[in-house]
Amino acid sequence: MFYRLSGVYHTRYQAARALWPIAADRWQVILLLALALAAPLFLSPLYLGSYLLPWMIWSAAALSLTLLMGLAGQLHFGFAAVMAIGAYSAIHMTRAGLPFELALLGGGVSAALIGTAFGFAALRVKGLYLVMATLAMQYLVDWVIINVPAISGGAQATLRTPAVSFFGLPIAGLEARYYLALGWAVLLTVFFLNVRRTSFGRALIAIRDKDFAAAVIGVDPFRYKLLAFLTASFMGGVTGALLAFCYYRAVTPEQFSFNVSIQLVAMVLVGGLGTAIGSFLGAGFVLLLPIVLTNLVAALGSAGILDVSQNLMAHLPLIIYGAMIIGFLLFEPLGLAKIYDNIRKYFLVWPFRHSRS
Amino acid sequence: MSEAGILDCSNVSRWFGGVHALQDVSISVTKGEIFGLVGPNGSGKTTLVNAITGFYPPQEGTIRFEGNDITGMKPFRIAKSGIARTFQNVALFRGMSVLDNILMGRHIYMRPNPLAALFYPWWAGREEVAHRKEVEEVIDLLQLESVRDEHVDVIPLGIQKRVELARALSAEPRLLVLDEPMAGMNQEEKEYMVRFILDAQEQLGVTVLIIEHHMDVVTAICNRILVLNNGEPIAMGPPAEAIADPAVVEAYIGGKRDAA
Repeated sequence: MFYRLSGVYHTRYQAARALWPIAADRWQVILLLALALAAPLFLSPLYLGSYLLPWMIWSAAALSLTLLMGLAGQLHFGFAAVMAIGAYSAIHMTRAGLPFELALLGGGVSAALIGTAFGFAALRVKGLYLVMATLAMQYLVDWVIINVPAISGGAQATLRTPAVSFFGLPIAGLEARYYLALGWAVLLTVFFLNVRRTSFGRALIAIRDKDFAAAVIGVDPFRYKLLAFLTASFMGGVTGALLAFCYYRAVTPEQFSFNVSIQLVAMVLVGGLGTAIGSFLGAGFVLLLPIVLTNLVAALGSAGILDVSQNLMAHLPLIIYGAMIIGFLLFEPLGLAKIYDNIRKYFLVWPFRHSRS
Repeated sequence: MSEAGILDCSNVSRWFGGVHALQDVSISVTKGEIFGLVGPNGSGKTTLVNAITGFYPPQEGTIRFEGNDITGMKPFRIAKSGIARTFQNVALFRGMSVLDNILMGRHIYMRPNPLAALFYPWWAGREEVAHRKEVEEVIDLLQLESVRDEHVDVIPLGIQKRVELARALSAEPRLLVLDEPMAGMNQEEKEYMVRFILDAQEQLGVTVLIIEHHMDVVTAICNRILVLNNGEPIAMGPPAEAIADPAVVEAYIGGKRDAA
């Protein structure tokens, strides 16, 4: 088939550790990147602005969370709060006259600081207790944002993002906003893949898999858990800022409420823990599938194929969506990324059938 | 102990609630030797090893490694000071390949951080290649070339234990602590393992502290052994002598030697 392991020889250690050692994988990545870059040419503004753009940003958010949950194995159920800190910090910094580039970094840094401070307290507990501690962060941050007018701009207020430019490029038009979001998603993807193949990522996976064995080989578990919180929170903070500036173009507390955190966890789980492609697939699943299902059911309804009551019509997409989440996780608990991996491996050894690990 | 060894445990005691797991154990391991810990189940061998590697700090007594007091230090600090160990039940990282597992052994010599990963080609990438070369030496020594790219959970137990040994060795320890490296192995795998331990001792100059139940192995490779029973040291010395000690025979078969 088009995938081939035979004939791929590595004579240098660098080549053996390349991100995509197989040529077919490289071509796939190049093709996808080219499609993403050319998207404004063939996608209507509606699709670009309300599907592809948020997909990229939520993928970046899922990548941030999967670094923490998938690689380091630390559950975080308050990640929307981290993104909120980034978004609010960045918006206040730009309003204070700071350049947008610095405000993005500042959003990341403040999210990282506050996120790590919570991590410092929360990491004394593990598992379900850590979930509770991070939930506490979500509610605390929500409360502070809503009740401190200096942050939220008053009760029920919406802060509009000021006009900004990114290294001379005005972030106003749809295409500029899309490319900024795409650039960030690509940067995070490359970063995440690099983390996976370096000592930092190995230390995180070691703590996730067997913390005592990690300690006996010299890994300070607390330090690396904290580093994971710091890195993921920074990524999440910048992503939150980009979500505000590129997609919503305003911030309100509801954009970062508890159910957003749950959606993020769903993206990471459905996509496949600790994988880059899983973050994209998971974000796409959680974000786009409900829309697709709604349109599909509506189309079937208007075509007269689906003759049910209006009430059921409204709920049918949600029912199918929920069933699909359960179905996919039952079919492959390791998520969409694992399904993709199985297909890839099938072609890798075709026409033979082994290697179904 | 008069002359200081590489590892000195003096009067180490540890209890869990009412169970006195270690009572007044003193050993001195000399540099370059293979020191065996022997005893029936529950005699405190693993507890002593856990005390040395920092998992269960002793409540009484001191442990010195190369003259430095390491009593009560956290496991990762003890690892950094030059002690590596393996576990009775294989403790490999299941989410990684064999190669990544062994590379984990180089952790204490690397500077893992997110920025290094961000600037991979200029920073982390170079570090990876440098340490990969070191790891390949260990892979070569332990003959793991054929499985290096496999996932650790698809290889047989005997090889898994060898990978764990490789991970410990790639940390370039001066003291290697092996907790039953041959448990659950067949004769052939055992012979391989013995050969690898001796190779490591000879070629890398590592001192070995080994817990083992197979008496043939113990008598064949250990320079000295300590026999524990119910947390108490009952005999110490060259294997043949220590095993012949009446207290040891009593502990193992519960009878007097003359009766046999």
